[in-house]
Amino acid sequence: MKHPLLKLEPLIWLLFGQGILLGTILLTPWLLVMGLGIPLGIVPADALSYERAHLLASHLVGRLVLLGLIVLPLWKGVHHMRHTFIDFGGAKRDALVAPLLYLLAALGSLLALVAVVRI
Amino acid sequence: MSRDANPHAMAPSKPGRTRTAPPQLPDRFPFGGRYLAYTLFDLTGILYVLLGLMVLCATWALGSGAASWSSLLERHRSVVYIAFHAVALIGVIFVGVRFFGFFPKAQPPRVGPLKPPPGPVILAALYAVWIGVAALLCGVLAGGILR
Repeated sequence: MKHPLLKLEPLIWLLFGQGILLGTILLTPWLLVMGLGIPLGIVPADALSYERAHLLASHLVGRLVLLGLIVLPLWKGVHHMRHTFIDFGGAKRDALVAPLLYLLAALGSLLALVAVVRI
Repeated sequence: MSRDANPHAMAPSKPGRTRTAPPQLPDRFPFGGRYLAYTLFDLTGILYVLLGLMVLCATWALGSGAASWSSLLERHRSVVYIAFHAVALIGVIFVGVRFFGFFPKAQPPRVGPLKPPPGPVILAALYAVWIGVAALLCGVLAGGILR
């Protein structure tokens, strides 16, 4: 019987690849505006006042973008972290590390779904 | 009439034990020479997990009401958050530049009857999409578009 992680490999690689591609494309404006622009006063704070942020995020497109902004970086991140663990610590502990990391990403994805639904 | 020679006629009855050297890390791993970019690319995984969790917190705060959202924006003004976001932006740009650089090299010679476009065209298209989508979303988030 195939190891469950091997069966999930195509899905994990899809999420990992999209995490790099779409995650990077979506994180860039998030960091520029939400991470740096507003805190540094370059962008007026009322641009993302609660009312406006809620209006943008509660639209279907807004929910999908937010879901992508959470789920895709998480999967990209855990897959790269798994390989960092292998590179630095060898493959012996991968049987424990990989399921733990993917479980973290799966849990985060589930919470992301709940978070975008409850906006 | 002679038969064809059997290539296995002189083979030993039992296969010999294959001797392998114990695996060892290359001398320059992890931060020397070309391993530096490789290791840094892997380490951006930590940044991406943290960023994913931070966007999750922001989305959760938005769903929890105006007070939660204001408190989150206030937290984002702290030096620690600003420094983290600055480092994260450098990390995200590094990932994009490195990954988009791989993209043209990873194309198959043919996709059905079609040949993929030349590498520089693919690269230019990727950068155009990255810059275009980032500019559009910056405009939306900063209030320049959909005000």
